[in-house]
Amino acid sequence: MSTLAVSAPPTERPRPLSDTPTTVRDLRGRTLRRNRAHVAAGVALLSLHQVAEALVPVAIGLTIDWAVVPGDARALTVCVVGMGLLFTVLALAYRTGARFTLRAMENEAHLLRVEATRRALDPRGERSGLRVGEVLTVATSDAEQAAQYVRAWSVAIAVVTAIVVTTVALLAVDVPLGVGVLVGVPLLMFLLRFPAARITRRSEAKQATAARATALASDLVGGLRVLMGIGARADAADRYRLASADALDASVGAAASNGLYRGLVTAASAVFLAGVAGVAGWMALNGRLTVGELVIVIGLAQFLAEPVQGLGMVGQMFATAKASAQRLVRLLNAPDALTPGERSCEGEPVLTLSEVGYRTLREVDLELRPGELVGVLTTDPRDAEALLELLSGRAEPGRMSGTLTLGGVPMHELDLEALRGTVLVEDHGSALFEGTLRSNLVTGAEADDERLMEALRSAAAQDLVSGHHDGLDRPVADRAANLSGGQRQRLALARALLADPPVLVLHDPTTAVDAVTEEAIAQGVRAARTGRDPARATLVIAGSPALLARADRVVVIVEGRVHRTGTHTTLTEQDRHYREVVLR
Amino acid sequence: MTSPHRTEEAEAPARAHGELLPTASARRTWAVLGEGVRRTGWNTPLALAIVLAGSAAGLVAPWVLGRMVDDISQGKGLDAVLSSALLIAASGVIGGLLVGLGGWSVSRVGETILAGLRERVMDRVLRMPAERLERVRIGDLLSRVGDDVAVVTTSIARNGPDVVVAMATVLLTAAGMTALDWRLGLAGMAALPVYVLAVRWYLPRSGPYYARERVAMGERSHAMMGALRGRDTVRAYRLEDEHEKRVSERSRAAMDITITVFRLFTRFGARLNGAECVGLTAVLVVGFWLVRGDLATVGMVTAAALYFHRLFGPMMFLVVNFNEVQSAGASLARLAGVIDLPTEREPGAVEGPAGPSVRVESVSHSYGAGAPPALDGVSLSIAPGERVALVGASGAGKTTLASLISGLRTPTSGTVRLGGIPLDELGERRVREHVFLISQETHVFAGTLVEDLRLARAAATEEEVEAALEAVDALEWVRALPEGLDTVVGEGGHALTAEQAQHLALARLVLADPDVAVLDEATAEAGSSGARRLEKAAAAATAGRTTLVVAHRLTQAQTADRVVVMEGGRIVEQGAHADLVGAGGRYADLWRNWRGSPDEEGELLAR
Repeated sequence: MSTLAVSAPPTERPRPLSDTPTTVRDLRGRTLRRNRAHVAAGVALLSLHQVAEALVPVAIGLTIDWAVVPGDARALTVCVVGMGLLFTVLALAYRTGARFTLRAMENEAHLLRVEATRRALDPRGERSGLRVGEVLTVATSDAEQAAQYVRAWSVAIAVVTAIVVTTVALLAVDVPLGVGVLVGVPLLMFLLRFPAARITRRSEAKQATAARATALASDLVGGLRVLMGIGARADAADRYRLASADALDASVGAAASNGLYRGLVTAASAVFLAGVAGVAGWMALNGRLTVGELVIVIGLAQFLAEPVQGLGMVGQMFATAKASAQRLVRLLNAPDALTPGERSCEGEPVLTLSEVGYRTLREVDLELRPGELVGVLTTDPRDAEALLELLSGRAEPGRMSGTLTLGGVPMHELDLEALRGTVLVEDHGSALFEGTLRSNLVTGAEADDERLMEALRSAAAQDLVSGHHDGLDRPVADRAANLSGGQRQRLALARALLADPPVLVLHDPTTAVDAVTEEAIAQGVRAARTGRDPARATLVIAGSPALLARADRVVVIVEGRVHRTGTHTTLTEQDRHYREVVLR
Repeated sequence: MTSPHRTEEAEAPARAHGELLPTASARRTWAVLGEGVRRTGWNTPLALAIVLAGSAAGLVAPWVLGRMVDDISQGKGLDAVLSSALLIAASGVIGGLLVGLGGWSVSRVGETILAGLRERVMDRVLRMPAERLERVRIGDLLSRVGDDVAVVTTSIARNGPDVVVAMATVLLTAAGMTALDWRLGLAGMAALPVYVLAVRWYLPRSGPYYARERVAMGERSHAMMGALRGRDTVRAYRLEDEHEKRVSERSRAAMDITITVFRLFTRFGARLNGAECVGLTAVLVVGFWLVRGDLATVGMVTAAALYFHRLFGPMMFLVVNFNEVQSAGASLARLAGVIDLPTEREPGAVEGPAGPSVRVESVSHSYGAGAPPALDGVSLSIAPGERVALVGASGAGKTTLASLISGLRTPTSGTVRLGGIPLDELGERRVREHVFLISQETHVFAGTLVEDLRLARAAATEEEVEAALEAVDALEWVRALPEGLDTVVGEGGHALTAEQAQHLALARLVLADPDVAVLDEATAEAGSSGARRLEKAAAAATAGRTTLVVAHRLTQAQTADRVVVMEGGRIVEQGAHADLVGAGGRYADLWRNWRGSPDEEGELLAR
């Protein structure tokens, strides 16, 4: 049964969707299946380890019986050698078995992590109802916890083996005594389970209050400069002191039930041991047991408590793994947020909205042809959001009225590649990634430095490079935390310009820069996107007069409807509303 | 052309590469811990005494069992066996009582010391002098009050009592074996060098691996967080494969290190088993010779062997957790380092400021020696109730001047006076009572909205809070939130827009009701229509106060009593908006640019 063959752990590769586990049971089954060699070897060896542990008290008793009592030096030699062998087996079995188990567990966690990430990033989106933070938790900690199934199984089987072996050893010494011990220990542990459940609850509550105090501390420190500006640091300190005191109360409460439990276990095991010792001693008096056997019985009775407690732990491990597996399954099986069609976009990528109603939008008509730069001014941010959802293909066709076509094909009938290869929506809140300026800029085909610099210049962002000795390889931290808001915005814009999509939709690309830079960006965007071959289409949703002045025409949306269309110049001359909104 | 930066950009490098907080020396760490222990009075020695007594009670059972073996060998009667059993039971019950009580009191003492420590740390962090706060890395602060406190908490809460109990058990068991027969005790000690060797083999090897593992795990979670938080962008640019690959690579790298570390750990475990084997065998062999030479009884040897077997668990626990104790020690040193930070200066002047006037007298300031001056001989006085707008390109010194006036920095030379009294004589706390700053950083504090606002005035009633929101025209959207004022906002709560967060900042200003308001907020992030609403709200919130506005949008300057134009750390123009536009100077240029049209159209618009 002990297949020790070390096969390489299965490597990840894109799996067909049919392999996705649809229930916790499926997930558990797949975990064991795809790690079976390692799990099997781990279980076998960890069980062997438990057997060896159980045999240690037996070895002590035998040594006393065979060598110490009769004073037999040869027997002593045999016993010493035997003890050495026992410990060798014990150590090796643990060492190898634990490694197999860990390898299987780590491998499973890795596979689940990658699988969850893939599902979360899938271009079709997901409707699991989980928030971004929750998705992150599922992909990180839940993937790890769900992999604990491997450990739970290994420990469970090893522990059961230990109990079986102890049973056999005890029965071999004396049947009635063995039966007594075997009934007594589990009964004892069973009774002790009730206070244990209470402890689990209290310590969970304790962890929660401790976590709250820590979260409060982080939050206050995160806003420390704000606190200082408003002179609220003393109040903040008071708030933290209260939370810390709560955490202390909860901890002391949990410690009390912990202490109670610890005391109960100690006392109960001692009383039980006293009972076993009394009965076994009486049997030894009658000659039914030898002195060594007496030691064996007492040793085994002491040892048995360990695996039985271990079983309790296994129950907890299964429960944790199950809760995490449920969340994983929910993410993996979440329905797609959008169902793309299968048509490609062959004609000229003309973007047409005709009498479109969606969320706050009502009967919006809009056309964007290659070569054009069109501005859209919205007074209600919700109108802009709705428009962005429509143009990025995230809008559900069922909730939309009118028609939205790209190159004459309804947007929702386009296949994903055609849509994403044609339209790029660079949202106001778009993300930058850890890496370098270069790695953030280059999103498609490789581009030479000259092209990168050109894109940066168009976004008025050349100072990011020129002011820095690493140039284009200047490091960018996670979430570009080492760049200022204005730098982040210009870098994201440069990325969009470099991607050079047939249709580019920009949303408020200049909110974090000053007027002079805004002007430079407006010129740069116009130069980069128009008068080109093949012709590019650009839609700018913004309130910046500098950008709108560069547009071929501006569509003004008020209360969800197209209010007016015209050039910036005519609109400023003729439309009071437009003047008020745009000319600050 | 002026530099296309904003002021925040000029300061970004200083913040990213700020200085680290100190870490205390081992001696100082012990001293801090000692202070905490002393504060618990007799509770600490009492807790330790109970634990020791409990462990001592645990010694009774093996000793009695050994005696029972002897009694049986000598053919004593059932009475002897029964009295042994009763003794075991009785000692067990007493032991249980003591162990339970001991565990609880050790936890209580430990947790109390810890709570005191974390409160002191937080207090120091919150009361850090403004000057220093501007220099430290927020990330470093966060890891101290977050990670370090969590590490110390877990190690004390989870392992503290166990470590103490295990140590007591080991010590007393060794003493018990020696009491049986000193030679048996010595035999058991044979395991000690093997344990020591194992630990000395393991720690130096594992340390670097653990460090690498932490780094690898950090990189893995960075990759995952980056990809998942920015997943809309990932999808828009079709970067799914690239990010998935990065996550997969980093996950695999972290996994490989974890497996390597664990391999090392299992080898360590095998060495510990070796120590157990050596000790147990030594006890049995020595016992054998002692029995042969009639120097000890079979019962004594039995008791010694049982004692030693009982040590396996606690020894393994102590040795394996050595690492955790060490890392808790490292975190403790970092916490103790924070405790030794100086606090803000207490007010020196007896009198408070006479009225809300602000005077800046030939102030110069530079960030660090050798750096070009951010401010160069600036003098400015603001009358009570006057509204002044600071205008200028990035790096002109607007934000620096604002932070000097609000007392966040001390000028390199020159004086800032509030109501005639220099700021450093007033002391930081008094300055805070009079000057309120809304900076470019916004932060919505986690908790309910009303709690957030009460930070500005703890005693504010619900009506007052609503009135403040009403004043900045925010009551409408607040009422529309799922639970109105009681909606949980901030990290993990209902997400507020940048504009709403700014509204809250202004409502806090109304609640705090200071004489002087300094506004350096980035209204532009809210988009142009939002910015206009915020400007209106800001005007309402600062009505009647002496106000300094760093004008990121020139409409803010348009409505001010006076516009101050800065360039290269100096004041180059000042006057009313209309006068400056008419004068055709620097401000007129900025204004034309701001109105935002290419020049020819600008001409058109001017008509």
